[in-house]
Amino acid sequence: MLFTSLDFFVFLAAALALFGLLPPRHRWLGLLAASAVFYGYTHPSNLLYLGGVTLAVLACERVLRAVERPVARRGVLACGLAAVLGSLAFFKFGGLVMERVASPAGYSFYAFSAASFLIEAYRNKVPEPRGAGQVALYLAWFPKILAGPIERATTFLPRLALPRADPAAVVLGLQLATWGLFKKVVIADNLAPFVDKAFGIVPYASAVDLLVSVYFFAFQIYCDFSGYTDIAIGVSLLFGLPLMENFRRPYLAQSTSEFWGERWHISLSHWFRDYLYFPLGGSRAGAVRTYLNLMVVFVVSGLWHAGLGYGAVGWTFLAWGALNGLYGWAGLATRPLWRRLGEKLPRVRASAALAVVRAVITFHLIAIAWVFFRAKTLGDALTVLRRLADKAAELPGLVARYPFTTDHYAAMALIVFLVAVEIVDERRSIFERLKAAPVALRWAAGYAVIFALLLLGRWQAREFIYMQF
Amino acid sequence: MKRLAACALLFAAIGLALYAAVYYASERLVQRTAHANPFHKIEARGDADWVILGASHAMALDFGDSNDRMQRATGLAIVNLAATGTGPLYNRFVLEEYLRRHRARNVLYVADAFTFYSKAWNEDRFADAKLIRRTPFEPAIAARMWRYAREEGVDPRAVLDYVSGFSKVNNRERLQRDAWEAEAQFGRTYRPSASVAAKRIAYLYPDGTPAAALDRYLGELDDLVAVAKGAGARVVVIKLPLPDLFRGKLPDEAAFDARLAATLARRGVAFHDFSASLSDPRFFFDSDHLNRAGMEAFFARELKGLLEGA
Repeated sequence: MLFTSLDFFVFLAAALALFGLLPPRHRWLGLLAASAVFYGYTHPSNLLYLGGVTLAVLACERVLRAVERPVARRGVLACGLAAVLGSLAFFKFGGLVMERVASPAGYSFYAFSAASFLIEAYRNKVPEPRGAGQVALYLAWFPKILAGPIERATTFLPRLALPRADPAAVVLGLQLATWGLFKKVVIADNLAPFVDKAFGIVPYASAVDLLVSVYFFAFQIYCDFSGYTDIAIGVSLLFGLPLMENFRRPYLAQSTSEFWGERWHISLSHWFRDYLYFPLGGSRAGAVRTYLNLMVVFVVSGLWHAGLGYGAVGWTFLAWGALNGLYGWAGLATRPLWRRLGEKLPRVRASAALAVVRAVITFHLIAIAWVFFRAKTLGDALTVLRRLADKAAELPGLVARYPFTTDHYAAMALIVFLVAVEIVDERRSIFERLKAAPVALRWAAGYAVIFALLLLGRWQAREFIYMQF
Repeated sequence: MKRLAACALLFAAIGLALYAAVYYASERLVQRTAHANPFHKIEARGDADWVILGASHAMALDFGDSNDRMQRATGLAIVNLAATGTGPLYNRFVLEEYLRRHRARNVLYVADAFTFYSKAWNEDRFADAKLIRRTPFEPAIAARMWRYAREEGVDPRAVLDYVSGFSKVNNRERLQRDAWEAEAQFGRTYRPSASVAAKRIAYLYPDGTPAAALDRYLGELDDLVAVAKGAGARVVVIKLPLPDLFRGKLPDEAAFDARLAATLARRGVAFHDFSASLSDPRFFFDSDHLNRAGMEAFFARELKGLLEGA
């Protein structure tokens, strides 16, 4: 069920009614039932996969609670992780050795949650047992099941005791969900046709088409994915269950390490950091290992995306991961330089102009990497970059002569609007500002977003990009 | 929480009032721009000697000034209510609305085999935002659509969309005239391409040629004939010319023709198969639609006599 479909709105109203009718102690049961309906709505067989993962996790957790010998505990953890992550690998790459089995929607996301749960259980950090149902709800919670955020059991499970939505949370939830819808339906889906056209047959696209598409895709994927997350967090708040922040104005990042570590898909970054980077030694095992560990994390991330590439193997995603790993290496190598600059020229280091320049450079580095993410083949990605490099000197003239349409200008205006909102939001949350604003202004902003959704939104059920992973 | 509920109600009430205003403006725009929509034509036109029904192939009979020229040449009032990708179920829906408001002496149904093999060209067409957003609001149409939702398997969301006006409010082409983009190519001449024809056929037959679907939609055509006859109109069914390359690739066409002819014979309906009468690619603007030259040649050779013979 897509967040942008009429079915979802009807479902949500019914789920909220059920939530309101149930006594707080038993609300989790209603939420579990609603999640099962949501996840099994289009493909009831999805519930079998979810049920399988849940049973595997519960079984391992029970054994971990009962067993004390470290070797045995490690064995149980290894079995559990092998089952969960092995099945994920099977869905991703099984097609290479046998007939491909289609991955159920959102499998990666609850597999990551399941792995996180098992590791935390192994570390004895999962709160006291709350029954199989609540663990099942942790994995199945419908706002996050299809594309995250990848919530941790340590924070999520305690909230299930007495979920209660207070008025402030409901208002914030509605605002977030509406803003998320705006990002997805108005911005991302209005940029998509330009990107689809240029990346559809790369050799036929002009240099300006490609340039526009590279910029547009950077904002399309951001608005698509963060829009989904905002809706998920907003909807979850309506039920009194806060989810973790997953995006923090990523294109204002001043370095690629800040982009990946603190601003983009934060829940996955933290997952990789806690369960892969740190166990590998992180940055405390010497310089060489630090570089190696960093690259491993990005390549594994690329590998995760790669399984469902547009071709048999998504080499483009591997290239995307490796390129971001190289950015990470460059960041590590230049870190002492920045430190020295800060010491010698503290005013320059702290200047707004430098911050802007760094943000612009970071954005372009990330946008170049997105070309590999979006292109169907490595050849296409390299063609895009080569064409843009070859025409770099002529581009200003070509852009000036390009027959931009009203749709182009509308798309650019939406991007400018988004960036302006994010800059304002960076200083102080836009929702906090709204809370402090006069009611007329607050409501006017609400109507403006809602009617932009109605008048400009593309509602023809375009899937969220990250649901395919 | 009570204060929040009161605020929410007020917010929703103001929002609904604003929506009503936007809906009204959108409906007015539809009145100005929806010239090609069959329901707009029903509203704009009166009684007719001939009502033409069918899918996009039949629409070519109304491209440019073709319909006016046919009317001048025959001295007959002709209303073309064909719409892209619509099968017998949608066409019955259109015909019922026409006959509710006007009288027709004859109905010319242009049969395309593909429309008899998939719900994509029948039940699903009711939910197509492109059709809904250009259909003027009329309580009788809404009521009939609801009946089709209950009895014919049309998605109730289509009724909700039509009644709420969502597709009209959300229409991104709200200021443009609703001409089918292919109309701009009406003067063009087609260069035959086997791969284009094969792709087009794969698109037109998304479910293949299932026998159950054929039974169902021949039944719908039968009902359409009954509706027309019930209103005193004579029905003639034809197949329009197609290029050899395209016609040769149509799946199970002979079997379809036989079933169609048998169904129509039971009702005493005349059936004329002109599909091979004009096979030269120069008469088509794409893989399967008549261009201006094709339309004129077909009219002169076949259609004029048929219309005047009524």
